[in-house]
Amino acid sequence: MTLPFLLTLLLGGVAALDATPVAQTLLSQPLVTSTLLGILWGDWSTAMSVGVVLQILAASTLPIGARTPEDYATGGVAGTGVALALAHGVTVQPWRDAAELAGAIVGMLAATSGVPLIRWQRRRNEGLSRWCEAEILAGNERAPAMASLAGAAMAFAVGVALCAAWLAAGTIGLRGIVENESLRLGRAWTLAQPLWLGFGMAQLLHAFVQRRLTRAGVFGAALVGAWLTLVMGAP
Amino acid sequence: MSAPALRNGTLLRMALRANLLQATWNFERQQGVGWAYALQPALDAIYRDPETRRERLAEHTAYFNTQPTLASLALGAAARLEAERAAGAGPDAGGMARVKAALGSTLAALGDRLFWFSLRPFAAALGVLVALARPEAPWGALVLWGVYASIHLAVRFLGVRWGYAGGPAVLGGPLRARLEGLVTVLAYGGCVVLGVLVAYGLAPGGEMRPIAVQSTLAGGLGLGLVSAQRARPSPTQWALGLGALVILAAWMRRG
Repeated sequence: MTLPFLLTLLLGGVAALDATPVAQTLLSQPLVTSTLLGILWGDWSTAMSVGVVLQILAASTLPIGARTPEDYATGGVAGTGVALALAHGVTVQPWRDAAELAGAIVGMLAATSGVPLIRWQRRRNEGLSRWCEAEILAGNERAPAMASLAGAAMAFAVGVALCAAWLAAGTIGLRGIVENESLRLGRAWTLAQPLWLGFGMAQLLHAFVQRRLTRAGVFGAALVGAWLTLVMGAP
Repeated sequence: MSAPALRNGTLLRMALRANLLQATWNFERQQGVGWAYALQPALDAIYRDPETRRERLAEHTAYFNTQPTLASLALGAAARLEAERAAGAGPDAGGMARVKAALGSTLAALGDRLFWFSLRPFAAALGVLVALARPEAPWGALVLWGVYASIHLAVRFLGVRWGYAGGPAVLGGPLRARLEGLVTVLAYGGCVVLGVLVAYGLAPGGEMRPIAVQSTLAGGLGLGLVSAQRARPSPTQWALGLGALVILAAWMRRG
């Protein structure tokens, strides 16, 4: 299990890079990282269950202006990683459900705990940018490249470290409770998953509708149409 | 003296470097250093005198911020202004700072709505729908990444050229109308995808889920719509609170 753990940490660093410092292609979104982790750990179902919940919540977290949003890049990797580690080699369904619940909660906690760390990085970057200007004026034209690489390296290291901390805390700290209370936690997961999905979908709907009646009407028509098609069968 | 024209290779290098625009994002200068790094190939091509080049490069490490994808348009426009400045026709340092500030806020206003409020949630909703409907293959992740990254990277790479061709008035022409149109299309598309997603959550594959699950999904949807009216608590804080309540309820239930 050491190699999947190490690769999970590496993915945590890559996700932290994609989230803000490099490219921002949404490779860091929980659904993408969970898919990669599902392939990596050979447990598709657990990865997808946790990834979908964290994705729907991550989508309602927006990096507008100077706001520091929750770090779902690292949270997605840490949460899915914890669920996969706790469910590894387990075939009992309630136990697997309990592991998924634990993973989703760890993902949200990791995302929240990432906020002060992102702010810390941004404060460190202030010094880096002042250094960069001074170096350019002193004749070092490679300073912007060096500063950018240093900023990216710091983001990668923080992503790996945060991921490692939550993976360790989640797998060691929650293993006992997941094992002993799997029935209760499994039951909680069957309700928490649709609750979180509904809650996250509402946040997205609010972003799309923007208090416009026609858009709300389009949503309603799509809902009824899709429901009828699903339940009655396609015409 | 005519302004030196920038080669396609220079514009491409700027676009490539724009990927690191936010590598040193900070509260003081925000994207300042990343902006200077991305603009550097243009400055290298325009200013042959090292002293002047360094002065201009240092000048560009000052405060700048906008939506990172549309920053490419501002980079192209700034490169054009620098070329004019080198020919003695462009703005001075103060004028350049004012143009950057104006471009930054205009592009942020449009870019935030297009990329953060529309494309990202749309790609996420579509990805989740595909992941739920086709759970046996990685299509959900591919759809999410492909839908967002194809538009994001196209604008990032082509945007420098558009900005260079249009200058500071790059958003004054049909480009703005096209991007505004895309915002509207994505908003309507997002409403349709979410409608299908909710229906799928209630009856995946046409099979009705237990009433408790349907009620919980509907409850989450209603609570989410109410909580979305206020910025705080954040959706994640709400979700954690709801999770704690569900666990407590499961713990207290007998049997």
